[in-house]
Amino acid sequence: MTPLVSFRNVSCRLGGKDVLRELSLDIEAGETLVLLGRSGSGKTTALKMVNALLLPSAGEVRVEGTPTAAWDAIRLRRRIGYVIQEAGLFPHFTVEQNVGLVPRLEGWPAEKIRARVHALLEQVELPPAQFAARYPRELSGGQRQRVGVARALAADPPLLLFDEPFGALDPVTRVELQRQFLALRREIGKTAIFVTHDVREALLMATRIALLHDGRLDVLATPAEFLRAPGEEVRAFLACLDPQGIPA
Amino acid sequence: MTLALWNEIVELTVEHVVLVATSMAIATAVALPAGILLTRRAPLQRWVMGFANIMQTVPSLALFGFLIPVPLLGGIGKHTAIVALVLYALLPVLRNTLAGILGVDRAVRESAIAMGMTGRQLLWEVELPLAARTILAGVRVATVATIGTATIAAAIGGGGLGVFIFQGLASVDTAQILAGAVPAAFLALLADGGLGWAEKKLSPA
Repeated sequence: MTPLVSFRNVSCRLGGKDVLRELSLDIEAGETLVLLGRSGSGKTTALKMVNALLLPSAGEVRVEGTPTAAWDAIRLRRRIGYVIQEAGLFPHFTVEQNVGLVPRLEGWPAEKIRARVHALLEQVELPPAQFAARYPRELSGGQRQRVGVARALAADPPLLLFDEPFGALDPVTRVELQRQFLALRREIGKTAIFVTHDVREALLMATRIALLHDGRLDVLATPAEFLRAPGEEVRAFLACLDPQGIPA
Repeated sequence: MTLALWNEIVELTVEHVVLVATSMAIATAVALPAGILLTRRAPLQRWVMGFANIMQTVPSLALFGFLIPVPLLGGIGKHTAIVALVLYALLPVLRNTLAGILGVDRAVRESAIAMGMTGRQLLWEVELPLAARTILAGVRVATVATIGTATIAAAIGGGGLGVFIFQGLASVDTAQILAGAVPAAFLALLADGGLGWAEKKLSPA
């Protein structure tokens, strides 16, 4: 079976800098692959190549077997849910309009959109009667992020991309949303690529972790393997788990 | 005040409003699409903004004068006045269109693209609604300025409330100057208030 997403010797130069170097990586249907790395390691760049927000300078990224450069970018993006740090909700749209965006662009009938939006809001625990008519500014950070997740799920895409979705949240809300995400994943079983710099989050969410360092793939491992993996960058990340390891 | 004077005030005020409204309609029709285009052509921004900035620095009386000998655009009369007023009004509308669209939150723009919006959908459903308030603020600033500048149009036969002002200046008649200046100031306040109200109504979020 062809992998859902496949990076083949992908390099990317942005502004004269090699952000990504010869990345090769397959993402199988149903898994949650976490791209872990420091700021500037190339993880967000790699993510943006999947929905053709960026194209490789060399190599190719294949989605469902077709290189992103050969896809109609609009069609490709409507098949991929995308959640970013500040949710990126449209401030002039209500929650209902935000969540129903892609179905509307895809020309679904209004009744079907409404039913879908309400079901999704239930699923992310934002009762539609209370939240559907609100604007993003009337929500808390955690609520906005949940609307962002609902929006990404709206047209039932086979693949979801998350770019540090919980990065701007307070620790308590963050843990709540991580739990909700895991529950949601069990329910819907979608493929996801998840970018984070938080090793705890990576270990919690991932079926596999891809550690990027200076634009290269350093380690590719399951969370259990990752804990025992060799290498300085792995150790640097694992040190974050151990408060005793922080020099006074 | 005689009835004849009243009638003349009304007549010149209407003429003034028509002059300003025509100029603003043309300026907006040019500057708004130009501003949108410029957001897509970053290298052009400097040149076009530079031109609009320079137009704004030319003293208005001089600009009216310069236009008189220009073929097609120039000469004596209303259309020359409109050309000059349009040139002045371009900059604020252009600048605010650019600022409004470029000011749309990066995360919002990125997620619009990532959701699979086409360029047209991005413009009409996201950029323009979110920039509307800033753009209208530019139109308001330009309109208020144009109401004032339009009084100078009388110097080249453009008509409007400036007719009173120039006549009053020539005959050292304060009352007549005021007959032009007061309605012009009143128009400016009215435009400022009305467009300011519309701006608040448009508030996206």
